[in-house]
Amino acid sequence: MIKTVNLCKNFKDKKAVIDLNLEIKKGELFSLLGVNGAGKTTTIKMLSTLSNPSSGDIFIKGENLKENPNKIKRIMNLSPQETAIAPNLTVKENLLFMAGVYQIKDKTLKVNKLLNTFKLEEIQNKKAGILSGGQKRKLSIALALTNDPEILFLDEPTLGLDVLSRRELWKTIEELKGKTTIILTTHYLEEAESLSDRIGIMVNGKLSSVGTAKELIALSGEKDFENAFVKIATGGEL
Amino acid sequence: MKRTLNFASRNIKELIRDPLSSIFALVLPLFLLWIFQQFKIPNEAYIISNFTPGIIVFGFSFITMFTAVLVSKDRSSSLLLRLSASPMKSYEYVLGYFLSSMPIVVIQIVLFILLAMILGLNFSVNLLLALLVGVVVSLLFIAFGILLGSLVGDKSAPGVASVIVQLVAFTSGMWFSSDMVGGFFATLCNALPFKYCVDILKGIINGNYDNILLAFIVFFAYLIVVTLLSVIFFNKSLKSDKK
Ligand SMILES: Nc1ncnc2c1ncn2[C@@H]1O[C@H](COP(=O)(O)OP(=O)(O)OP(=O)(O)O)[C@@H](O)[C@H]1O
Ligand SMILES: [Mg+2]
Repeated sequence: MIKTVNLCKNFKDKKAVIDLNLEIKKGELFSLLGVNGAGKTTTIKMLSTLSNPSSGDIFIKGENLKENPNKIKRIMNLSPQETAIAPNLTVKENLLFMAGVYQIKDKTLKVNKLLNTFKLEEIQNKKAGILSGGQKRKLSIALALTNDPEILFLDEPTLGLDVLSRRELWKTIEELKGKTTIILTTHYLEEAESLSDRIGIMVNGKLSSVGTAKELIALSGEKDFENAFVKIATGGEL
Repeated sequence: MKRTLNFASRNIKELIRDPLSSIFALVLPLFLLWIFQQFKIPNEAYIISNFTPGIIVFGFSFITMFTAVLVSKDRSSSLLLRLSASPMKSYEYVLGYFLSSMPIVVIQIVLFILLAMILGLNFSVNLLLALLVGVVVSLLFIAFGILLGSLVGDKSAPGVASVIVQLVAFTSGMWFSSDMVGGFFATLCNALPFKYCVDILKGIINGNYDNILLAFIVFFAYLIVVTLLSVIFFNKSLKSDKK
C-alpha cells in the first residue's frame, strides 16, 4: 500500500529524516515511535503530501506520490499534530465543510454519524475555537474520517484525551483496522503495543527497528516493550 | 466549482461572525455618509452624488482588511496546510476568497445607495448600473486583501491592511480633490488606483462619462496586476510551508 525508497528530509543543515525505507501493507496499523524530534511528524507530513521530500520516493498503491498527488489525496486523510480546524465554525459546520471539501454524497448522514461516533453531539453547535484541547483533537480526528479514507495518518491522536475518550478512540481505531491502512504516532507505548500490527522506532531521523511488539522485545533482549523501546531508542546504551 | 462554493461559504461564516467587520464595513461608512450630509459643506466633493461613490470605495477598503486578516489567519492556523492534503486546488482557494466577499459587497453598495437616496440622491437607472460596476470595482480590493494576507503574518495583517484604508481615505479624492494639494501628494493620488475607483463610480452615478475611460483603463490594469500577484504570492505561501 505504502512504500518509501530512501526518503530524506533536510531542514537547512538539520537532517530530520534519513534514508527511510518502509513498507506498509493494506489494512495494516503501523505505529511510528521515537523520542521528541526523532522525525515522526516529518515522516507523516511527507507521506501525506504536506511536505515535499528532499530526496527519495514515496509510492502509494503503486503510484509515485510526486507524479500523481491528486489521485491519492482523494483516498487519504490526516489528523495533524497541531489540530487544524476552522475556529469560527461550529463543530458541526467544520464537519460539513470538510465533507464538502471531499464532495461526500450524503453530507448530513455522514456528519451525524461522526458526531455520534466521537460523542460530539452535545457540543456540535459550539464554535471550534473555544473547545478544550481534547475536544479539538476529537474533532480533528473526526474531520480526518469524513471521506472514509483508505489511508489514514494520525499524528499523536490521543494527545490530551482523557482516559475515557482515549478508550473510545482505541475502539474506533480497532473498528477501522483491516479496512483502513493507518499510520499513527504516539508517545504512549502501551497504546502502540496493543493497537499496532507493526511498530517502527525512529532514532535521530533513521528508522532503527521495525517489527511486531513481540519481535521488538525479542530483538532487544528485554522483558517488556517499554524496556525494549528505551533500549532501541537510546541505541542500546542504557 | 462545488468545492469553491463550499470553501466560500465557510469563509463567509468566518467573516460575518466577527462583529467588528460589520461595524467597520457597514456602520462606519453609513455614519460618515449621514453626518457629512448634515454639515452642508459648500464643496463639490460633498455633493451627495460625488460623496456617495467615495463612501462606497471607502467601505471596500475594509473588505481588503478582512480578506487580508482571513487569509493570513488561515495560513497561520494550519487549516490551509491541512487542506493542501485534500483534493482542493489552489485556484479554488483564491476563487473562494473572492466569492466570499461578494455578499458583503452587495449589501454595502445597496445600503450606501439607499441611505444616499434618503439623504437626497435622485433615483435613476444609473444607480442600478453603479451596483453592478461597484461589484467589479470591489474585486480589486479583495485581490489586495489576498495579496496582503499572503505576504504578512496574522499579527501584522490588520496593521498593514489599515494602511490601505488610510490610503483610500486620503488618495481617493473622497474628502478633497487631489488638485487642491498638488506636488508629491497629487502624484501619489494619480499613481494609486483608488482615485480612479471613485471616478468610475462618480461618472456612473452622475451619468457623466467624460473621464471614465482613463479611469477604467487604470483600474483594469491594476486589477489584472494585483490579481495575478495575489495568485502568485498565495501559491508561494502555500508552497513555502512544504519546504
Ligand atoms: N519546519 C522545520 N524547520 C526546521 N526544522 C524542523 C522543522 N520541522 C521539524 N524540524 C526538525 O526536524 C526534527 C524532527 O522533527 P519532527 O517534528 O519530525 O519530530 P517528532 O518525532 O514528530 O517529534 P515529537 O515527538 O516532539 O512530535 C527536529 O529536530 C525538528 O527540530
Ligand atoms: Mg511530532
